[in-house]
Parts: sequence; structure tokens; C-alpha cells
Amino acid sequence: MGEVIVITSGKGGVGKTTTTANVGTGLAMLGKKVVLIDTDIGLRNLDVVMGLENRIVYNLVDVVENNCRIKQALIKDKRYPNLYLLPSAQTKDKTAVSPEQMKKLADELKQEFDYILMDCPAGIEQGFKNAIAGADRALVVTTPEVSAVRDADRIIGLLEANEIKQTHLIVNRLRTDMVKEGNMMSSDDVVEILAVDLIGVVPDDEHIVISTNNGEPLVGSDCLAGQAYMNICKRVLGEEVPYLNLESNKSLFQRLASIFKK
Amino acid sequence: MSDTVVVKGSKSGIIVVLDKDADFETIKKDVAAKFQKTSDFWGEANKAISFRGKDITDDEKEEIIDIIQSNSKLSIACIVEDDPETEARFADSIEKTIAARDANTGQFFKGNLRSGQVLDVETSIIIIGDVKAGAKVISKGNVIILGALRGNVYAGAAGNLNSFVVALDMNPVQIRIGDIIARAPDKPDKKHKKETKIAFVEDGNIYIEPLDKDVMDDIHL
Repeated sequence: MGEVIVITSGKGGVGKTTTTANVGTGLAMLGKKVVLIDTDIGLRNLDVVMGLENRIVYNLVDVVENNCRIKQALIKDKRYPNLYLLPSAQTKDKTAVSPEQMKKLADELKQEFDYILMDCPAGIEQGFKNAIAGADRALVVTTPEVSAVRDADRIIGLLEANEIKQTHLIVNRLRTDMVKEGNMMSSDDVVEILAVDLIGVVPDDEHIVISTNNGEPLVGSDCLAGQAYMNICKRVLGEEVPYLNLESNKSLFQRLASIFKK
Repeated sequence: MSDTVVVKGSKSGIIVVLDKDADFETIKKDVAAKFQKTSDFWGEANKAISFRGKDITDDEKEEIIDIIQSNSKLSIACIVEDDPETEARFADSIEKTIAARDANTGQFFKGNLRSGQVLDVETSIIIIGDVKAGAKVISKGNVIILGALRGNVYAGAAGNLNSFVVALDMNPVQIRIGDIIARAPDKPDKKHKKETKIAFVEDGNIYIEPLDKDVMDDIHL
């Protein structure tokens, strides 16, 4: 029996889709059978980030409306044969699907997959309700900014009200240099405000932009963000993994520069 | 409302029965009122029409058809003389009229189609503008884009494999002709240059080639 994980944030642009793509790919690399569902109907992105846009024939709404079978709509990833994507529809809106239908779909997919990852849209309206309907646990993504943290707090409240058993926090786009200077909240600060368990910290990394544009998740690669995402995957599976030293990636030049600053 | 007008519907036609003794002005008013009220019932459809009861001139028939079309979403394809075989001839006439209209006709669309927008047409379509990524064009005929194609196109949606797609800048995510699907390569072509190209079906595959004279000679409408 599989597990349904919703990746959500409240605020837009904090990295839900990137996280879904990388955590999903990472779990597949670790040998799990994974399906990613893009629930952002009308503003689909996950297919582009996964580099699978050109394979879409049927989508989530077609499945829910019984225009096709689930198998027909699932797109097999080009790298990992045990990773699938159920893309969202671009021409409909959030009301095309109901929470009951999403729950039914999730229950069906649970029979066959180890992990079902729901990429939640921003906001707390119907799209959010659809995404969390069948979820067993949640990964809340936030950046270390007051606005994102505030929205994450609201989301965590809503998840609790909807009886999602497990909620974990991912602090995304952390910049250690700014934290040191006291210009940015540290991950500890964020955890203290939100009072949920941390499952990962992902540094601000330009490799992410490159990987997103190329449609190839970078999880498992050598860069810091790639390592951080792989660690999150292992923690999702229940492994104890120590946190990365996010400063280690500084170039020699940067290190020299920071010495001179002092 | 007085009963100067009675409308009977069948699968492919409507029969309008007019009161012999009513004057034409009253009839016009009643026709307008009747079709306005029942517009939802008829929906959008192509129908043949025939008149019974009162003898009216051809000009008057045209006038009534205009009133019907402006008060409902119906479009009247043709007038059929009323006789016992009316129904069969209704169906036949409509089929011929529509088939002739669709086979080699097209429509124009001006503007850019952006992500999430779908243009679905029965005939061929000429788009003056771009089809952006995430947008979709569906046509039962051919699709000609006087702009860039970066989204999805579905030509020959009723199954016609002779359909083709032309774009001034051909860079689609997906092209479907009939039941054949072609998708963009996974690695974006860095050397992509703007060039007018045509997509067509040959031996069960979709080919995309520069639009030159040889290729154009091979187009079969």
C-alpha cells in the first residue's frame, strides 16, 4: 500500500514544483515506484520541469472525467522507468476536479505505487483542497522570508484541521552568507516559528535554475541543492541523515573575499 | 401569446406552421418571441426548415429565417419544400450542404493563442498570430499559422490523414494529424532558425520539412 504525500506552501514561487520534481525523482532513484500528480489545473508546470511536456496526450481532468484510463494518462519518465507523471490540464480550472474524485484517484494509485506525490497549487482554495484530499502526509515548503513563513503557518493550520497525520518542513533557498550577516532567518528560526519537524534545508543554488530550464531534476548530482534533495528523499524513507554544511561549496575566491570583509 | 405560429421539431429539421389568417407582421413578432423563448431547447445546430399553413413568398421566408437565426443559436442550412418525404430530404440536404462547406473552406483567426487557450474549429483554419506553448489548435482540416507555432496542433481531427500544418516558425511541442502523434525532441534544438515549414503524414509518420515547391506539389486537398 502506497503513501500519498502532498507538497504545499501557501505562497507561490517558493519551490513546490521544483521540490516535487526532485523529491519524486530522488525516490525513484532509490528504487521506489513513484507517481507525480500535478494538481495545478490551469497553470501546469510540473511537466515542463520534468521535461515531459511533449509527451502529454491525456491529463488529470481526462482521467477524472473518464475520458481515458489512468494508465493511458500516466507518462513514463525518460530516465527512470519506475517514475511516472500525471500531468494537469491547461485549459480547465480548479473546479474541474473535486476533492472526492482526487481521493478516489489517490486510493486507486496507492494499490500500484509506493509513493504518490501531489504538487499543490499556491493558495488555499479549491486547488489546495483537491491536492490534500487523499494525502497521508505533507511536505510544507517555505523560504526564509516573513511572507512565506506566514503563509506556511496558515497552511500547517489547515493541514492539521484536515487531519493530515504527518507534516514536515522544507526550508528552501537558504543563503548562509545572508544568515551569517543577520539579514536572513536561519532554518532554526523558521522551525522555531512554525513548530513542525524539519526534513530538509535546500540552499539557494543557481544549478536549480539551469536544471529547471533544461527539464532535468538535479537530485543526486554533486551540487549542494542536489545533495540536499537526495537527503530529503532518504529522510522521507525514514533514514537518519545528518544535515549538510551548506557553506562547503564556496569557491576559493569567495572564501578569500569573505576573509577580507572581516 | 397568440398561436399564430406553431413550431415542430425533428432530428434534422424544423417545421414552422403559420396561421392562415394571421397577418405577416404578427407572425414575425410571434416567431421572434417563440424562438427567443426556446433558444436553449434548440441549442446550437444546423437545421433545415420548411413552412406549412400560410402561403408566403420567398422574401418572406428569408425574413422569417433571419428572425429565427437572430433570436436563437440555430443556423438554418436550407429551405425544404414540404412533402411526405420531407424528413429524409432534410437530412440529406443538410449533410450535403455542410460537407461541401467543410471540405475546402477555412476560417481566419487573428490574434495570439496563449497558454491554456484552445481554438477548436470544424473547417481549416488560418491563424494570423502565434500559437504559444500550452495553447492548442484543433481543426478537422488544415492548420496554417502565419506566426510561430510553439504549442500543440491537432489537424485532421476527424481522421483525415491528408491534412497538413504550416507555420512560419515551426517549433511545436506536439503535432497530431489524424491519429498520428509527433512530439518535439527532448533536447531543444539550439540551432533552430525561423523557417516556414510544413508537417504532413507519409507512411504513417509525421514529417516536418521546409515548405518548397516540391512539397507544395504533393499537397492533396
